[in-house]
Amino acid sequence: MAIIDMKNVSFQYTANQKALSNINLTIQRGEWVSILGHNGSGKSTLSKLLIGLLKPSEGEIMVDNTLLNAETVYDVRRKIGIVFQNPDNQFVGVTVRDDIAFGLENLQVERKSMVDKIDFYAKKVGMYDFLDKEPSALSGGQKQRVAIAGILAMSTDIIIFDEATAMLDPKGRKMMLDYMKQLNQDGVTIITITHDMKEAVLSDRIIILKQGKIIKDDLSEAVLRDKHTLEQSNLQLLLPLDILFELEQLQLSNERIKEILWELSLNA
Amino acid sequence: MGIKFERVDFKYQGIDNKGYLALSDIVLNINPTGEFITLIGETGSGKSTLVQHMNALLTPTGGTVTIFGVKINQEIKKKKKVKLNPIRKQVGLVFQFPEYQLFEETVLKDVMFGPKNYGISHNEAIKKAKEAIDIVGLDDSYLERSPFNLSGGEKKRVSIAGILAMEPDILILDEPTSGLDPLGKESLLGVFNEIHQRTNKTIIIITHDMNTVYNYAKRVLVMREGTLVYDGSPQALFSRSNIDNWNLDVPDILTLTKALETRLNITIHPAPKNKEQLLNRLKEVLT
Repeated sequence: MAIIDMKNVSFQYTANQKALSNINLTIQRGEWVSILGHNGSGKSTLSKLLIGLLKPSEGEIMVDNTLLNAETVYDVRRKIGIVFQNPDNQFVGVTVRDDIAFGLENLQVERKSMVDKIDFYAKKVGMYDFLDKEPSALSGGQKQRVAIAGILAMSTDIIIFDEATAMLDPKGRKMMLDYMKQLNQDGVTIITITHDMKEAVLSDRIIILKQGKIIKDDLSEAVLRDKHTLEQSNLQLLLPLDILFELEQLQLSNERIKEILWELSLNA
Repeated sequence: MGIKFERVDFKYQGIDNKGYLALSDIVLNINPTGEFITLIGETGSGKSTLVQHMNALLTPTGGTVTIFGVKINQEIKKKKKVKLNPIRKQVGLVFQFPEYQLFEETVLKDVMFGPKNYGISHNEAIKKAKEAIDIVGLDDSYLERSPFNLSGGEKKRVSIAGILAMEPDILILDEPTSGLDPLGKESLLGVFNEIHQRTNKTIIIITHDMNTVYNYAKRVLVMREGTLVYDGSPQALFSRSNIDNWNLDVPDILTLTKALETRLNITIHPAPKNKEQLLNRLKEVLT
């Protein structure tokens, strides 16, 4: 069942240049989709359209069978949460508690239930002991965890991770990837916007944008080995596959090594 | 000369006045030329605080930092006459997200701002700015463009040119490639590498990317909870067993090498520095 359906969507910031042109994209409930592309390919514009921060110049967007427009945007935002790249740009509260409460207040959740939810989700992301701390006392990874707690508390069906791991250290990054896996197992539809092939490999399906157009939309396993498309999008092959293709060119590959390198690339 | 840290502590005051020790007992020597250093460690480990001592943006609360012969410590707060401007010109520091600091109408004007600020004539500043813009890989067509209409990668290049135009002896960059796509990242690292090769300038890069560390650095510094826990070569670092304790990743090439050794029951020694070396070793095994 489709949870997101974009039909002929275009968007332009200025009169003469389309940031996105004629996007047709259907995402199924429970799917994990990666959106890849070079800097300026339109990835972040796409995510802003999906949460109604931007309005399509042409075409329409359906989220869970609701047409996204000025009247429905607040209902749609109950269904889609987003985690941005820069942890410092998404901390709205004075304390961790305020920050998690922010989304719930907007949903007009009653106080008793709100307090319970804040405690529950703060514990879930391991930030319970930090509830009364201010953002300056937190690391980047911890701020991203608070952002996730805020979204989890709203129980959205879809979560967009817009380069959410790009600024994190290796430990913070690993933790974020573990959350994505867990959420997807729990049935949440995940959209990750990334440059990182090791993140993309976790998804079911990969979409590649180039100059505002979808140039590839296929199962992850197919896109990962599409050297030509990756290269023309400023992306890189995963190292094990890069080695495999080099060995194949030298006619030194065999079934066993192929199998091993393929397996290693999927577990990158 | 260069930069010398002698038992340096730095304590942030904090609003509760308890403060916390961001740097503790740092001992470190950085040569004025010939170094390509990466500085790594968890978020909050003190990396940015450390580099802000390298051009006297911060004054140690204990110990002394000597920058090209100028001593920076608590003593200088008592004397007013220590001039820090020459130090800031000698040690160029590019902050994280430097693109947020662009402000002029054109790329050329933005890059000229630094040199003009240090008393260089208008014409000389134009010359230095043009050279710097060329070094970072932007052609003349950028000179009169507004910096605000450029892509993220281009903006980063303009802001780096702004520092280069001041002709610093040492260049320090705080996570210069974060947010760039893989090609943009490699291309910018290539610019730093070329500057280093051509001018022998010391370059220091803060990064979370272990591939950058392994592929480019001659020397690695690892920070952990305000202390310097490692100062040595990347090869030796990644062959140590305590990488996990420091929450560091392993470069892709070494992860793959290790997995192949196990799966194919072979040894690949010495550890390959790059893809070509790994391929050569595999060729031997497979033929």
